[in-house]
Amino acid sequence: MYYPKKIKKVFLPLISLCMGLLVLCLSCNKTLDVPSTRVAGEPQHWTTLDDVRSGLIGVYGLFRAALASDNAFWLWGDLRGGDFSSFSRPDLKAIIESNLNASYPVIQNITDWRRFYAVINACNMFIERSDSALQDKRYTELNHTVDIAQVRALRAFAYFFMVRIWGDVPLITQSHDGTFEDMPRTSQEKVLSFCESELRAAAQDLPYVYGANDPQQPGPYYGYDYSTFSNTLITKLAAYALLAHVAAWQGHYYDVAVYTKFIMDNYQKEGLQYSTIDQLTNADGIFADRNPNQLIGFNFLKSNGEATSSGHIEQLTLGAPLISKPYPDIYVSKDSIISAFPGSDGNDERFGIDTISGLSRTAYFTNYSGEIPIFSKIKVINGGTQEPDFAVFTSAIIFTRLEELTLLRAEALAVLQQRTEAIQLLNIIKSNRGIRPYVEGDPRDLVTEIFNERRRELMGEGWRWYDLIRYNKIKRNNPSFNALIDQGGIYWPIAQDILGRNHLLVQNSYWAGK
Amino acid sequence: MRKILLPKGAIGIFSFSVCIIFLGFFHRSDASSTNTHPCTAITGFYQETTVRQDTVNQPINEEDSTANDTTVQISTTDYENSFSHSTDSRMADTVSIQVIDRQPYISLQQMLKGNAAGVYVQETSGEPGTMQNMFIRGASNPLLDIKGLYNAQPAVYLNGIPLVQDNPFAFDIQKYDFNRIGPAINYLASISPEEIKSIEIIKDPAMLALLGPVAANGAIWITTKNAHSGYRSISINSYVGFAAKPVVDPVNAAFENNFRKPFYDKYATQEEKLRYPAYLRDSTNTDYYGPSNWTDLYYKNVPIYYVDLSLTGGSDRANFRFLVNNSKTNGTADGTAINRYGASFFINMLPLKWLTASAMVNANKLVRDRNRSIRDRLAELRYIPDLSNPLAPNKDVYGNYLDEFDNVIDENQTNAAHGYFKINAALKNFQFNSSISFDYNEGIRDVFWPTTLLDGINFVSNYFGYNQRFIVSNTAEYTLKAGPAHQFKFTGGQVLQEDIYKYDYAFAYNGPNNFIKINIHDPTPTVITNPLSSAQYTPYVFPDKEQNRLASYYFKTQYTYDNILNLSALIRSDGSSNQQPDHRWLLSYAFSADWDVRQSLMQSSGFANELSLHASWAKTGVMVNDDRFAVGPQYKVDMGWPDEPTLGSYDGIAGLSRPYTSGWVGYNIPWEYTNKLDIGLNLGLFQNRLRTAIDFYSNDDKNQLLPVPVASEWGYSSAYESGMWTNNTGVDLNLAADIVKNPSGFSWTFTANASHNQNTLKALPGGLKEIVIGDRKLEVNKSIDSYWLLQNQGIYNTNGEVPTNPQTNQPMTYNGVVLQAGDPKWKDVNGDYTINNADKTLTGHFMPQFYGGFGSNLAYKAWTFDFNFSFVAGRDALNQYASSRLDFINNEDNNSISSVKEIWFWSKRMNLSQYPMYNPWSSAVPYQADQDLFLQNASYLKLQSASLGYDLSGTRLFTRGDKKLFNRFLVYLSAANLFTISPFKVDNPELINYNGIYDGYGLPIPTTVIFGVKIDL
Repeated sequence: MYYPKKIKKVFLPLISLCMGLLVLCLSCNKTLDVPSTRVAGEPQHWTTLDDVRSGLIGVYGLFRAALASDNAFWLWGDLRGGDFSSFSRPDLKAIIESNLNASYPVIQNITDWRRFYAVINACNMFIERSDSALQDKRYTELNHTVDIAQVRALRAFAYFFMVRIWGDVPLITQSHDGTFEDMPRTSQEKVLSFCESELRAAAQDLPYVYGANDPQQPGPYYGYDYSTFSNTLITKLAAYALLAHVAAWQGHYYDVAVYTKFIMDNYQKEGLQYSTIDQLTNADGIFADRNPNQLIGFNFLKSNGEATSSGHIEQLTLGAPLISKPYPDIYVSKDSIISAFPGSDGNDERFGIDTISGLSRTAYFTNYSGEIPIFSKIKVINGGTQEPDFAVFTSAIIFTRLEELTLLRAEALAVLQQRTEAIQLLNIIKSNRGIRPYVEGDPRDLVTEIFNERRRELMGEGWRWYDLIRYNKIKRNNPSFNALIDQGGIYWPIAQDILGRNHLLVQNSYWAGK
Repeated sequence: MRKILLPKGAIGIFSFSVCIIFLGFFHRSDASSTNTHPCTAITGFYQETTVRQDTVNQPINEEDSTANDTTVQISTTDYENSFSHSTDSRMADTVSIQVIDRQPYISLQQMLKGNAAGVYVQETSGEPGTMQNMFIRGASNPLLDIKGLYNAQPAVYLNGIPLVQDNPFAFDIQKYDFNRIGPAINYLASISPEEIKSIEIIKDPAMLALLGPVAANGAIWITTKNAHSGYRSISINSYVGFAAKPVVDPVNAAFENNFRKPFYDKYATQEEKLRYPAYLRDSTNTDYYGPSNWTDLYYKNVPIYYVDLSLTGGSDRANFRFLVNNSKTNGTADGTAINRYGASFFINMLPLKWLTASAMVNANKLVRDRNRSIRDRLAELRYIPDLSNPLAPNKDVYGNYLDEFDNVIDENQTNAAHGYFKINAALKNFQFNSSISFDYNEGIRDVFWPTTLLDGINFVSNYFGYNQRFIVSNTAEYTLKAGPAHQFKFTGGQVLQEDIYKYDYAFAYNGPNNFIKINIHDPTPTVITNPLSSAQYTPYVFPDKEQNRLASYYFKTQYTYDNILNLSALIRSDGSSNQQPDHRWLLSYAFSADWDVRQSLMQSSGFANELSLHASWAKTGVMVNDDRFAVGPQYKVDMGWPDEPTLGSYDGIAGLSRPYTSGWVGYNIPWEYTNKLDIGLNLGLFQNRLRTAIDFYSNDDKNQLLPVPVASEWGYSSAYESGMWTNNTGVDLNLAADIVKNPSGFSWTFTANASHNQNTLKALPGGLKEIVIGDRKLEVNKSIDSYWLLQNQGIYNTNGEVPTNPQTNQPMTYNGVVLQAGDPKWKDVNGDYTINNADKTLTGHFMPQFYGGFGSNLAYKAWTFDFNFSFVAGRDALNQYASSRLDFINNEDNNSISSVKEIWFWSKRMNLSQYPMYNPWSSAVPYQADQDLFLQNASYLKLQSASLGYDLSGTRLFTRGDKKLFNRFLVYLSAANLFTISPFKVDNPELINYNGIYDGYGLPIPTTVIFGVKIDL
């Protein structure tokens, strides 16, 4: 075989070329470190005050998204068994009729609990990692304590919300970052007792107000004063309000009485007030922007570009002439209005028909005389500009406010047979709305009347379905509802997608059989 | 028979190769040419030589000799040297791409459609300048979303510069993905066909490996006409013509009323009848019930034109080329158009005998007039006004609406520039190439829509974005002649590529009036001093930027034995900034072998004029085009929900969280890579008058990232995991036949190409066997382009027909909804008396299994006539248009983007009565699109183009004695998109989206007729 001598000559340059390339390669590694401007990596995160603040706000933002996506807050709370009818949307009609297996995208979306677990995972991450930001001297232990308390309360809130909808849910209290093992459902008793202990612990650490020299949170909070927060963040009373609801859901009315007493004794510390009918229904009222009366609420600030078209009850309930859409998606039929606001109560400021003139007072409704009354109790259109053409809304999602808690306390006391105080609390609401007080000896059942008052006062605030459950658990006088309670039909089905992803989950038995 | 002398190593490789596969080695019949690299031996297949990469098939035009000079040494020191592309082989490849340059094509995709084996082109809309899709040898991923589509596109090289395409990251802030924000102009509409000297489709694995990760999906190599020496020559090309409006069957409300009436009569309750849509309720309303003549305003016969002028010349030591061009292509529908202005300049210099310097600058401006569809407008608006009353089909009413567009600003423009500066030093056996090249394109869009178009609000948006690519590359090449027949070539190379993608996008709603059309983003609004301040608008601002770098090193060895045998091996290392630090580099390899069977074994036999075999295998990395995967676990803004994807703050404070919506990203993400294998045969028979090339291929794309659904209880919608493996297997066939060959008289050449492609999902991450992502299901060992559908078997006419589960006595349900009369009879595949996702099956294909084209070139003296067909077969479409027309109850009541009725709502596209009459109010949603009821065969055969030309330069008019006044004076008459035959009758079957969904939105692809001249002085 013929081998050219020339080859030898090649080796040297060849080897040096390879070596050269190798050197270039190594030096190039640095060139290839291009930091992303789009996402923040884990290693550098949780090291500064700003990381913690954005993490905390992130949890609130995720919670808002969980409630606002597909207007789920109202679809869960106000449609099933509630006062609303669907104008023409078949998907909403199916929910109203408790036909929750129906094949509509909206129903599939709102039976998916992932968004709550995103909140929970974000909380778990925060609890596990935020303390490393204490290396930033601007981030104090005191600030950290308050942050952790908020996040624990939010996590408990998320679990409570889910238990109300689905019953048993997997209880996950650690982030297990990067692993996604299947988890079975935990009994709701266990979940709720976790919520209760968490909320109790959080309540100890939470201040009444933020950025207003509360002993537990002195000075500005993350550099902002009270005007930035009002009651936007979870406060001490918010934690108590949640405790009260967790207890009420389990029928522990004695605890409800204790927790609500604390609220009734301290609500002025957080600037809570009973609202007038104008404050309740005006575009600049309690649903607008942020204000102290949103004890637990999620706001949308127009000034910060948070005005959205979805995530508000207005998207479902408003129609012409308030916005240009000719008909609302859902409305309260005249029959329901009449039955919820019986004329015998007197001149209800929320809705009533004047017996003399025959004219209606319709703070809650617009166009009552038309074919379809518009439920316009909440109508914060584009920051209160109320221009009908641009249907973006800025109303807050309010979970609870003082009236709601007052009626909850009344409910607890009525169940506990402390009728006098219960009636007194009920009458605060009644007198604020201009209707006849309930007097001892009234033939109407007190508990029923408290729930009727809740129906009127909290219409469109996502309470009706849960109220019906609590009411029927107390009364157990409606056989078909009893069957729902006993068979788990009060819960929603779990989305097929969720079941397909986690093989330890089983469908709620009521829906599995359907 | 010729005796072969081989060194030991080569014998080893050779015998090894022969043992496994019947492969051989490539060879060129033209022995005088010094073919150096098997992979780069791209020769004019249709010029009686072999082909490795398919050149866009076109018979040689013998008249066209002037434009392609072959004499000057410096014009051959070519651009692509930096990629170690040998250029000598391309010298012969001076194909006149006659099919292309005589048609009014504006995008590269149009030029390739049906004209190259292995390339499948989707022209999903006839709107000029819009995005079109290409796939070489199938799609490398399942195209689950529009990002998948971007990731499957091949690389396009213009004179060796890999053009930078738009980055799909802008879709992250979009609510709908119908169009990318910005001008959304097809970046490949900037290349004029007149400019192109050749287009090659690079499919050879080893050659793609040389190009690196950018070309992982295949490459399209465009060479433009370059500077060359000689007496200055001037060329003028021009055409004028028109695009013909389509034939449309307009209808009015009476038609729609008649269509809906039976549903109301049969199924509606009294209450539902009361909800009859207002626009159909009143039959005396002439807006809707009057004459339907909107088509007069919507469709028009429109002119198109093109003109260019080029000047080439200079000496052997320095020469240049300069060109300017302008074209305008109008769309036949909705006032659409694209206007292109281009200029380019080439210069080559030979300052020293051994040193060549060359440079190119090419700049284009593209201005697009967009369509006026409501859907696209609302998609950008992210806000759905009330849609209960559609546009009226009456010309007068519709005309009033169109008049409102006089107040609209909708300016779309892309400016692009690319260029290079290269030096080549040739010293005996050593060659050194160094180059700097860049590609920059910027998109600008300014929009203002007045209140009259948007139900009372106005909207302004501004977009500026750019994509920039900068490449520095160096290669060193050493040629070693080891004896009379043996030659080695060693090449080492380095490339550093930096891409920057950036955009600033701002939009604002609800300004004070329709006269103030400017959105000023003013952080401290001062209403009094600045009446235009943002206090009056509600502004939203989105800046975004992504930067990535790719560093590559490679070393290639090539061995040639006397033009009979050609072996090469490549090793390369690529590092990407989009890979995590511990997986930054990927080592990959390529091998190829070519064997000229005829010359080595059967030179004396008369069997064939050409017979050669080649085989090539390569592993190449695939670029990830999102920098978030380099970060690992990460935090971003994730406060929105599908309706409000961009909400970024809570209580006015910015918040961050893990990417729960977009999916978990962890550590240990390895490089995605592709293993490609190609085995082929070239055969020339009958004095090479029949030439065929056939290639079998198998491409495995491995380690692909996929958002895998995980247990939702950890908050994430999915987790990105590596490990998806897809395979594309198929055959590409080229054929050319000189049926009649008479240079002085009549000749006829027939050409054809055909491709077969079949994809398979080989593996899913984590060993999963199947996963469901959205509406799609991926199952191992099934194809990746299937629809996942319920099987429709008719209708339940009575409740009694609904089967009952004998065990529970419960009737059949659809996801829990009891099926009733008027519901569809869906096949209960698993027999559990519940119709749900488990009863859906994978059916059909949205990527074609067969595609290609064929045509002929006929020439008689100075006359030429060509025609070309393209075809697509074994491909289906899901007719969402029919589904949404029939599902009018759900669509109309939801007031969502799917409720939009464009003006073409008032046309009859298909007979909807062929579908069963289901109860549209049923909770089972009988007309949902995901059932095989709406699956249709969308194969087609299309007469793509025909052209008749006559060269006047030889006529008495343009000759003085023996001397021609013009080197060429060609006049031609061409027509494109002449007719289509298809079982898909609804519309042109090309107007189907990349994922196989036909939604009716594609504007018609018009038939065009042009008259053109080509003059070379």
